[in-house]
Amino acid sequence: MSAGSTDTAVRTGRITRTALYLVLLLFALFYLLPFAIMVINSVKPLTEITGGNMMALPQDWTFDPWVKAWATAQIGVDPTGLKPYFWNSIKMVVPAVAISTILGALNGYVLTKWRFKYDTLIFGFMLFACFIPFQIVLIPMARILGLAGLAGSTPGLVLVHVVYGLGFTTLYFKNYYQVFPTELVRAAQIDGAGFFRIFWRLLLPSSGPIIVVSVIWQFTNIWNDFLFGASFADFDSQPMTVALNNLVQSSTGVKEYNVHFAGAILAALPTLLVYIVAGRYFVRGLMAGSVKG
Amino acid sequence: MSFLTIDNATKSYGSVEVLHRVDIDVQEGEFLVLVGPSGCGKSTLLNMIAGLEDITSGTISIKGKSMNGVHPSNRDIAMVFQSYALYPNMSVAKNITFGLEMHKVPKAERETALRDVAKLLQIEPLLDRKPGQLSGGQRQRVAMGRALVRNPDVFLFDEPLSNLDAKLRVDMRTEIKKLHQKLGTTIVYVTHDQIEAMTLSTRIAVMNGGFIQQLGTPKEIYDTPANLFVATFMGSPSMNLIPVKILEENGGLVAETTNGLGETIKLPFAAPPTGLKDYVGRTITLGLRAEALTDPDGADSKAVNLVTVKNRVIVMEPAGSDTFVMTEFGGQDCNARMRADVQVAPGEDVDFTINMDKVVAFDPETEDRIV
Ligand SMILES: Nc1ncnc2c1ncn2[C@@H]1O[C@H](COP(=O)(O)OP(=O)(O)O)[C@@H](O)[C@H]1O
Ligand SMILES: [Mg+2]
Repeated sequence: MSAGSTDTAVRTGRITRTALYLVLLLFALFYLLPFAIMVINSVKPLTEITGGNMMALPQDWTFDPWVKAWATAQIGVDPTGLKPYFWNSIKMVVPAVAISTILGALNGYVLTKWRFKYDTLIFGFMLFACFIPFQIVLIPMARILGLAGLAGSTPGLVLVHVVYGLGFTTLYFKNYYQVFPTELVRAAQIDGAGFFRIFWRLLLPSSGPIIVVSVIWQFTNIWNDFLFGASFADFDSQPMTVALNNLVQSSTGVKEYNVHFAGAILAALPTLLVYIVAGRYFVRGLMAGSVKG
Repeated sequence: MSFLTIDNATKSYGSVEVLHRVDIDVQEGEFLVLVGPSGCGKSTLLNMIAGLEDITSGTISIKGKSMNGVHPSNRDIAMVFQSYALYPNMSVAKNITFGLEMHKVPKAERETALRDVAKLLQIEPLLDRKPGQLSGGQRQRVAMGRALVRNPDVFLFDEPLSNLDAKLRVDMRTEIKKLHQKLGTTIVYVTHDQIEAMTLSTRIAVMNGGFIQQLGTPKEIYDTPANLFVATFMGSPSMNLIPVKILEENGGLVAETTNGLGETIKLPFAAPPTGLKDYVGRTITLGLRAEALTDPDGADSKAVNLVTVKNRVIVMEPAGSDTFVMTEFGGQDCNARMRADVQVAPGEDVDFTINMDKVVAFDPETEDRIV
């Protein structure tokens, strides 16, 4: 009798499992299909796209669209390709992510381990940043950048993204450090470590997972941002997203879809890379802060 | 002059005073245990000594120097925490030497100190491991190593054994005691476990509700508790408390109560506390430790004033080394500690011997011991 019931249990399990995998597969396809089409069409000559089937595999494989998108395509008025804008983005993203993550960690450290009067109120205000839509801050931010002499420059964009991201990074690190035992900080104090020494030697080295979360979150948001880039950047500080838009918009004459596809993939590659490298820490980090908190 | 002086120290959180006017003098080499139920303010007092909590009023001084406002790292103290508080990202060796490094001790000296401590605590094979790879007992040792390596004036322990299982706790207790005897350092040790307090300390401060209830040697605390709280909190099983009426008979004082058979019994005092005279005719609470209530053969042969009365056995609990027998005096359940081989059965009426040398008397209103 018991053997029979075990059998049934296994069979039901198998059926559910199959169904589960089928559904998952379907979803995977659903998400992968557009990407596959982008890739396929980015290695086709333009004639095959305009004259034929978007879904078909290329007959002539060519990497010219990639080279063109990267180096020679018309962006706005200059035939520079996306290359200079890619570096603009890097020059903006790297400092912005680094600064907002470090500052978020410091904020989280102070808000949990060096509590002061009205600290929750201040944290509440910082959280506000997470809920304010981008559009609302555009005009005041433009004014501030102007006053600071940072309008239309990469440092200006870095400032905007740091300020905007601080709410999120502070939230992450505060949650994470909330469950970091205060006794450890006290032990370090007795051992003679000061404010920053405790931060560098004790807190930060124990923050791997949450640093990953913060970096991924900030990197994707800042890299993919279009609005701030379009609003506050000059010609020589425009990020990749704005350039991609210009590439697609500015083609006089024929629309070179294969070049557009290649450009779009180029613009998405860095975030993809970050996810692949650090992704498995992402969930772990998100859990670490929340489960016990 | 004492080594560590806590002078009129109080602590308030906002308008709530959680420690009230604490006065303790600790001599060099003393092992002072702060014991009391959870929430009585032990950790707060310890943290005030460490400098981790501010003092609301009063003074704490070490070696005659006021420590008010002095940073924890400059007080020449070391602390072992309940959770051990080992730095998770550092190896055992780094954990132990971190404090020395922060105090700018040269590397060669740090290495020597590390080796000495590792040898003393027998943790040499663990030095390269991370705290996460250690068992509870090993972590405990490392935490002690981190405190010992600093060679401080005062060691502070906050419930260091409460996270260990029962067997290990007893072993580590012995080891801490050995260490103290070997090194002769001054220790302030917090626990809620009265057995730990009794076994480890040279002096105990029993705390309750933010007040020091009594400060004394383990023997003083056990034999002459200052009030009913100390009497019941310290000792296991806790002190028997019997309501008795004080009478004057033949120029001496006797305590009158009833036994479990409903008979009136009279227990004469041999050397009553002088204050007891004022209570003639009134009811007081008589305190009687379980080992002062035994079978006649188990009674202390050196005792001067033994009184034997018949009483009924309610429950009998063999505990291996002793047999605990529950009976009733004055309507209160009382524990008697009898010899292991004693032959008694529930419902039986047997002889109980009371060691009147050991009884203490409490005023039932103030709950203080009558002296
Ligand atoms: N930061 C704080 N704010 C307010 N009350 C506190 C704080 N820390 C401790 N207390 C209170 O002080 C009292 C003593 O706490 P503590 O010293 O931790 O007790 P224990 O004897 O268990 O170690 C408790 O009633 C506790 O609620
Ligand atoms: Mg405590």
